[in-house]
Amino acid sequence: MKPLVLMIEDDPQIRRFLRAALAAEDYQFHEALTAEEGIAQAAARQPDLVLLDLGLPDRDGLEVIRGIRLWSQMPIVVLSARGQEKDKIAALDLGADDYVAKPFAVGELLARIRAALRRAAPLAADGADTVIRFGAVQADFEKRVITVGGEEVHLTPNEYKLLQVLIKHAGRVVTQRQLLNEVWGPQHTEQSQYLRVYVAQLRRKLERDPARPRYLQTEPGVGYRLTLDS
Amino acid sequence: MADTTQISLQGETPADLSEVEDVKATRPGSRAGWREYGVAIAIVGFATLIALALRSYLAATNLAMVYLLGVVAVATRCNRRAAVMASFLSVAAFDFFCVPPYLTFQVSEYQYLITFAGMLVVALVISAQTSRIRAQAARAVDRESRTQSLYRLSRRLSTKTRVFDAALAAAEVAEEVFGSPVTIFLPEDGRISFRKRTSDQLLISTAEEEIAQKVFDHGRKAGKGTQSFPEAAATYVPLKGASRIVGVMAILPGTHGETLHDDQHHLLDLFANQTALAIERTQSQNAAADARMQMETEEMRSSLLSAVSHDLRTPLASITGAASTLRSQGEKLAPGVRDELLESISEEALRLSRLVGNLLDMTRLESGVELRRDLYPLEEIVGAALQRLEAQLAGREVMATVPEDLPLVHVDDVLLGQVLVNLLENAAKYSPAGSAIEIAATATLAAVQLEVRDRGPGFAEGEEKRLFEKFYRGKSEGVRGAGLGLAICRAIVMAHRGSIEALHREGGGAIFRIRLPLDGRPL
Repeated sequence: MKPLVLMIEDDPQIRRFLRAALAAEDYQFHEALTAEEGIAQAAARQPDLVLLDLGLPDRDGLEVIRGIRLWSQMPIVVLSARGQEKDKIAALDLGADDYVAKPFAVGELLARIRAALRRAAPLAADGADTVIRFGAVQADFEKRVITVGGEEVHLTPNEYKLLQVLIKHAGRVVTQRQLLNEVWGPQHTEQSQYLRVYVAQLRRKLERDPARPRYLQTEPGVGYRLTLDS
Repeated sequence: MADTTQISLQGETPADLSEVEDVKATRPGSRAGWREYGVAIAIVGFATLIALALRSYLAATNLAMVYLLGVVAVATRCNRRAAVMASFLSVAAFDFFCVPPYLTFQVSEYQYLITFAGMLVVALVISAQTSRIRAQAARAVDRESRTQSLYRLSRRLSTKTRVFDAALAAAEVAEEVFGSPVTIFLPEDGRISFRKRTSDQLLISTAEEEIAQKVFDHGRKAGKGTQSFPEAAATYVPLKGASRIVGVMAILPGTHGETLHDDQHHLLDLFANQTALAIERTQSQNAAADARMQMETEEMRSSLLSAVSHDLRTPLASITGAASTLRSQGEKLAPGVRDELLESISEEALRLSRLVGNLLDMTRLESGVELRRDLYPLEEIVGAALQRLEAQLAGREVMATVPEDLPLVHVDDVLLGQVLVNLLENAAKYSPAGSAIEIAATATLAAVQLEVRDRGPGFAEGEEKRLFEKFYRGKSEGVRGAGLGLAICRAIVMAHRGSIEALHREGGGAIFRIRLPLDGRPL
């Protein structure tokens, strides 16, 4: 079955090349030009993924995310203008799965779409992978053992939890607020410098060159993304 | 001149205040004045004791000399009134103790009346002369201390570039010199408001705002110690500049409630005058600077327009040209040529996107963007920048040295990241493909330093400062850009109160060095 993508975008030129790119990758797609229409189409068509432009003519794109999240966890990838970190964070905190900043290359967008679809796919019958590998790192969450190049590394409980949360959301950007909430709890969502220190420690333990992280990547002003080998 | 400098150096210590106080202390009527009468009486008494001891050996007229010596001693030590009193007292004591019959004021021989008259005249002349000399000396000391304090004031004022700072410095010096709380009020829209003042605490009731306003309007002193509003708590002095009144200085009685005497009032006027001139000068300097900036802004705007229109049109022309070629002749073109045209479309579009991004950044920075600062490991900001430039840096060795124990930096991560991206982009643009780029961070107690080093052609001698100007393009050939990247870097670093500089690298190439203060104080 070809995945169905709903694109909510008012600009005809952008719709035109998105159409071409999606068709070439064998996706089915529907188009909506306004927020209103987008929410209605999302309910009517039950797409596998929503591609959402934040600057819509009738209403703020953020409201589309809010509307859809009331009843569905379908993946939403946001298209936003560059430099508006606030909007990106707001979209992610409302439940968007990822964002691509305009202008973007189609290759990047398609990679994000693939990753979002993969995460949304129901897990295989043999359950979630309890062993995750990226680079030299192997994380066995059943045995609670993390090794780098076969050597066991010791993680503090918070580092372990942080890694777990990042792996759970692997491939997508997680905002600082989400990470703080999931690792430290909802009352600590403002203390982002702790988070940064823990991420730095985790990088030192897992990355070959912590100043050029290959996996544990920073999205400046937004949050972090754990990129697994594709 | 050399002397004055020395004096003013000593003047920084509180020692010179005592001189001002000394002058005040010798004034008649004060408590110290009564002490001087006591000293005079004691000295006359001592002279009497000596005279009594010598009485049997010397003639009475010679004993008068002992008393005259006593008067000299009093005159050199005490004020004039005490010396005059000592003169009369000496004549009386001489009569009583040294002229027979003893212990009575009666005189046996009338020739002693001549002795008395001569003695009194000599004693009074000595008193008058000595006290005149003393007064002259006191005035000299007074003048000197006044010169000192005025010099100190002018020195402090000369370094100030802001009106408020000048007023603050003047109030501080005045407070030291007069030993009383001093506040300077500056007008807002032509009105004196107690809210715009130099001292943290207002020791005057705001009801006196009106008096200050009157002083400001009419340019005449008022308040305590003057004819108008003598019941006020403070004395208000207008700060009269050459062309207008720039503010009002208020001086309160000192901690012991002492008020200013005439000399100090005179000094206060001089102070007010000098302060007013300094404030006026600062104001006109600022106005000139504003006007200059206005002009520069206009000039910048026009050069921005011409640069922007050129830089925007060039990539647009390439894109339009390539796209229209593909449309009209696509069939006839060799596949290789088609690919080239497609590539130039996407490259030029990227260039356009970068330019628009830079312009937006610059505009945002110039309109005074608010920094969203927090504590970040520098390593993370470096890492994110390298990640963003992965494609542009491909095929090069990039060495990033960020020590583990580097302190967290208090920055806007997105903006500082932009600085690094711009510097790295420049390094990649200007240095030969495949040459290494180094990033090195170090820390001192006060600052974190970050360097980006390349092996490109570097920059010409004398370009160090100009590189950071808007629309300035390095002399390197074959590299296109709007000349905004480094200007953006500088704007961002300055907003962080840091510094950025370009250095020649040993063995060829350029080093861009950023320093960020750790304690938030400007470097």
